[in-house]
Amino acid sequence: MYISIDEAKCMGHGRCYGVAPELLSDDVEGFVAQKGECWKVPDDLLGEAQDAADACPEGAIALLEQAPA
Amino acid sequence: MTETPTQADRDQGQSHRGCPVVHTDYTQETEVFGHYALLDPDREKSRFLFNDTTDRGFFMLQRYDDVREGFQQHATWTTAVRSALRPGSSNERLLPQDLNGQEHVKMRRILNQYFAPAAVRRMEEMATERCIELIEELKPKGADDFVAAFAIRYPTDLFLALLGLPVSDGEFFLEWSEDYFNSLLAGQPERAEESKKKIMDYFDRAVNERRENPLDPDVDMVSRLVTARIDDEPISQEDIRTICLTLMLAGLDTTRSALGFIFAHLASNPEDRRKIVEDPSIIPNAVEEFLRTFPLVIQAGREVQEPADFHGLELEQGDVVWLGVAQANRDPRKFPDPDKVVLDRAGANQHLAFGGGPHRCLGMHLARLELKVVLEEWHKRIPEYRIAEGTELRERGGQLTMTSLPLEWEV
Repeated sequence: MYISIDEAKCMGHGRCYGVAPELLSDDVEGFVAQKGECWKVPDDLLGEAQDAADACPEGAIALLEQAPA
Repeated sequence: MTETPTQADRDQGQSHRGCPVVHTDYTQETEVFGHYALLDPDREKSRFLFNDTTDRGFFMLQRYDDVREGFQQHATWTTAVRSALRPGSSNERLLPQDLNGQEHVKMRRILNQYFAPAAVRRMEEMATERCIELIEELKPKGADDFVAAFAIRYPTDLFLALLGLPVSDGEFFLEWSEDYFNSLLAGQPERAEESKKKIMDYFDRAVNERRENPLDPDVDMVSRLVTARIDDEPISQEDIRTICLTLMLAGLDTTRSALGFIFAHLASNPEDRRKIVEDPSIIPNAVEEFLRTFPLVIQAGREVQEPADFHGLELEQGDVVWLGVAQANRDPRKFPDPDKVVLDRAGANQHLAFGGGPHRCLGMHLARLELKVVLEEWHKRIPEYRIAEGTELRERGGQLTMTSLPLEWEV
């Protein structure tokens, strides 16, 4: 499972790194520090990844079965 | 008096451009929690409604998914109207709220870092100390109006601290800000102007003091505002004052209202209160659940800039849209048993109390901190309290607030 964060959509609500502190962190402006990135989620953090995706009111976080081409 | 459509209206199938019409007036004072009781039925009448209680009227988006999507339409639905209930209030400039698109993004990028979680964490110690001072001052009295004695004083003090101003100025500043806010809401522009002048002069002095003696702009917002450049231009003194005024208008009444609703709930629901006293670790989620259940900004207004079809709702340029925050937060399609406060509700933080899109509440992280600190420190010191007997709790319409909340506790 891959997690992909759309930089343009992140508005700094802070909910994703609030519910997934092992996976995500905040930058100085309050945006998710990993915005614009896409990476493979470690198996033990799949729950956190799902919580983060659900928590974002902007729909900025996508979970993908495959690495994007 | 609130008018709801009569059966006759419905039989006639009153509609405005094909959208069912309602006449619910959300600006009136009601008993406490009275507005939520009006909002829920409207949401269930029809997916979209046209409300004709204001000069321009407004199209209501009321369901969670629609409201959320409405906040995403920021390219064409702008803050030229900020409140569907008071479309004319846009004559009062607010910054960065009145800006849209790239102009807005640039100003937000200057301000964001002073309201980000990292900045808020730096404030936590001071916020906690101040909170304890105010509670300790109240505690021996055994009774007081929670709204006047605590809920407005606390955010006012923190607002001054955020601007790098002495908390002791709260004594006179509070009176000005209250007078200004109340005059605005009461539609008394002359009186509002008088208070506004005092506030603006005060900001002038504060800003000029920072020009003379700048602090570290990484942590001091006013020092940054006086040195910042947007497109190589400094921010004018007038704009800096307007930013300060906007932060004041956005941060004081809102926090006061949230605290009023939360404490009204906890004073009347001992089982929830005891859960918090016994296990303070539940407070962060409880804060989200309170924000979900008792949002005081019940709607955000937007003005449509080009014709659009929103899931079958035909909108024209100049239409006013109501983004029904409070209705979304209690939408049963999103939250099971939505009118019930469930302190450990899963997914409580998916509420829209702070809006969404680029205009989402700048102060949301600070607000969360303030509510958390108050819930923690108050319940450590005054775990048992009740609403004074014989009190009838009232709620202001528009942007909701409780005008007073008389509480009693054992000394």
